[in-house]
Amino acid sequence: MSTPLSLDRLRPCLEGIVPSGIATCGVDGMPNITYVSQLMYVDPDHVALSFQFFNKTRQNILANPVATVLMMDPETAARYRLTIRYLRTETAGPLFERMKAKLAGIASHEGMTGIFHLLGADIYRVQGIEALPGRELPPVDSGPALLPALRRSVDALSACQSLEGLIDSFCSSLERNFGIQHQMLLMADEPGGRLYIVASRGYVHSGTGAEIPYGVGVIGVAAREKVPIRIMYPSSDYAYSRMLRDQAASSELAERLETAIPLPGLPEPASQMAVPIMAGLRLVAVAYVESRQECHFGYDLEDALVALGASTGLAMAALLCAEASAEETAEPARSPAATAPCGEPQRVRHFLRDGSVFLGDDYLIKGVAGSILWRLLSDHQRSGRREFSNRELRLDPALRLPEICDNLEARLILLQRRLQDRCDWLRIEKTGRGRFRLDLARPVVLVPEEVA
Amino acid sequence: MTETDPEPLDPAMAAFITSHLSMQLAATDDAGLATAVRCVGCRVSADRRRITLLMPRSQALPVLAGIAANGRVAVVFNEPESYRTLQLKGRDARIEAALPEDAEALLPYAAGFARNLAAFQVPEPYVRTLVSCAPDDLVAVSFSPTEAYGQTPGPRAGRRLAPGEMET
Repeated sequence: MSTPLSLDRLRPCLEGIVPSGIATCGVDGMPNITYVSQLMYVDPDHVALSFQFFNKTRQNILANPVATVLMMDPETAARYRLTIRYLRTETAGPLFERMKAKLAGIASHEGMTGIFHLLGADIYRVQGIEALPGRELPPVDSGPALLPALRRSVDALSACQSLEGLIDSFCSSLERNFGIQHQMLLMADEPGGRLYIVASRGYVHSGTGAEIPYGVGVIGVAAREKVPIRIMYPSSDYAYSRMLRDQAASSELAERLETAIPLPGLPEPASQMAVPIMAGLRLVAVAYVESRQECHFGYDLEDALVALGASTGLAMAALLCAEASAEETAEPARSPAATAPCGEPQRVRHFLRDGSVFLGDDYLIKGVAGSILWRLLSDHQRSGRREFSNRELRLDPALRLPEICDNLEARLILLQRRLQDRCDWLRIEKTGRGRFRLDLARPVVLVPEEVA
Repeated sequence: MTETDPEPLDPAMAAFITSHLSMQLAATDDAGLATAVRCVGCRVSADRRRITLLMPRSQALPVLAGIAANGRVAVVFNEPESYRTLQLKGRDARIEAALPEDAEALLPYAAGFARNLAAFQVPEPYVRTLVSCAPDDLVAVSFSPTEAYGQTPGPRAGRRLAPGEMET
């Protein structure tokens, strides 16, 4: 006995790689058939079809809601007929955004950029699936087996004791277990409506500290809608270079946005996927992966990364909250004897307006991370202190950190990595839970700048 | 073309639909359910008033039942590289035995279709598998097209074409 067909196993047919046919019946009994690339898997019982124009298919469906889809597996050429029934149209929200992103990729692939404008996602219930007889190619095993990869990744994550370790473990897992070469991990700044890069792999510059506003591009839409966004083909509509430029020209947000640190990323990714990393209903971060190869990230990988993201998000939230509530009871780890800073003094400039810090004339960072560094250096200058605690930063009203689960730890990691990227004489080292040390190899001259 | 007085197909349209395109044929049953099958060949009669689509019978059973019941068909023709898409409809479809030359045309069709898809890096074995049909499984459906619609993607998709009109 063969198992009944499940749409879960037929999802590659719905990627738009091989266009499907959709046959409908008019009120006059005449059939109508058209090719569609924009058929999308919703769940085992539902598919969605893009509504861009009021065409014959749509006219028929509104009068007679049952239709047939003839779809082909893009690897094996197996053919299936789906009987589907139109239920409703969604014009906003996660499913709509997923479809819009997918459509942008397809439009660009088909040379139709600017022609496709999504009016709605038509949701259909799948009433029947029929496999058609005929020759098929053997299925191709491509990429790593996903369940073992997921298992290994989750095992590695559960061993992590610090946020920094978790971030590195997550990125290494994508690289080693899932074979993903180009990736970024961005932490969510919910009150600021933006995300900032804390880690990346596969680029010349790490881009740590670079920011993306919610709603912009694959990553920003995934964050705003809290839904994975996946594009199978190169899409200029979702290219960051262009979007951030447009944004910069038109938006107030752009002024507050970190624009001095360039985004890493492939110039023309052929496949893109952004997966929200959630702690329950709260967005903690977004993982972004990209490839020069078309159709590189499928539904199954999306599922695996969503599952990995769920595990990562809860662990992140737990570590952030544990760190935030840690009392200053633990003794600080004894630091090695400090080498006295020597050599040419380095000028460090700070602009109060946006918290930006410059090392000499070189921009380092702004915002909360910039203000933290300035505060540490000022303290060190005044008292020679090198050891600090997260708690005192949290209590410092000048830093204006949100009170609950304020992501301070994530900001410190960002600052630490940005320093690693940009200078060789100033470091921040973690020395224990909620504790860290400032290491200076050079003396500094602090220059508070006036408002520009 | 009008429904009352079927005109012969425009020669350019006849050439287009026989240029090894991606083709699917739809029919409806009397309960109003449409169904579809992929076609593996197309020929046009000498007077260009009747076209014949070839398909694997084993994959076309509900389609053939619909045609036997009411003779209504719609066929979509798509040229992948140019995205040019055309739909022809008719009301007098009938099921016919495939001719010996129809079976002989299967391989040239697959080769031509594979060439049409080469721009998308579709491997030839995939195309050959997709349109494979055992010669004894081949069945023909012929009809007189009475309506033509341009379906090249875009806002003008679905527009009914005037007699002799051919989308570019």
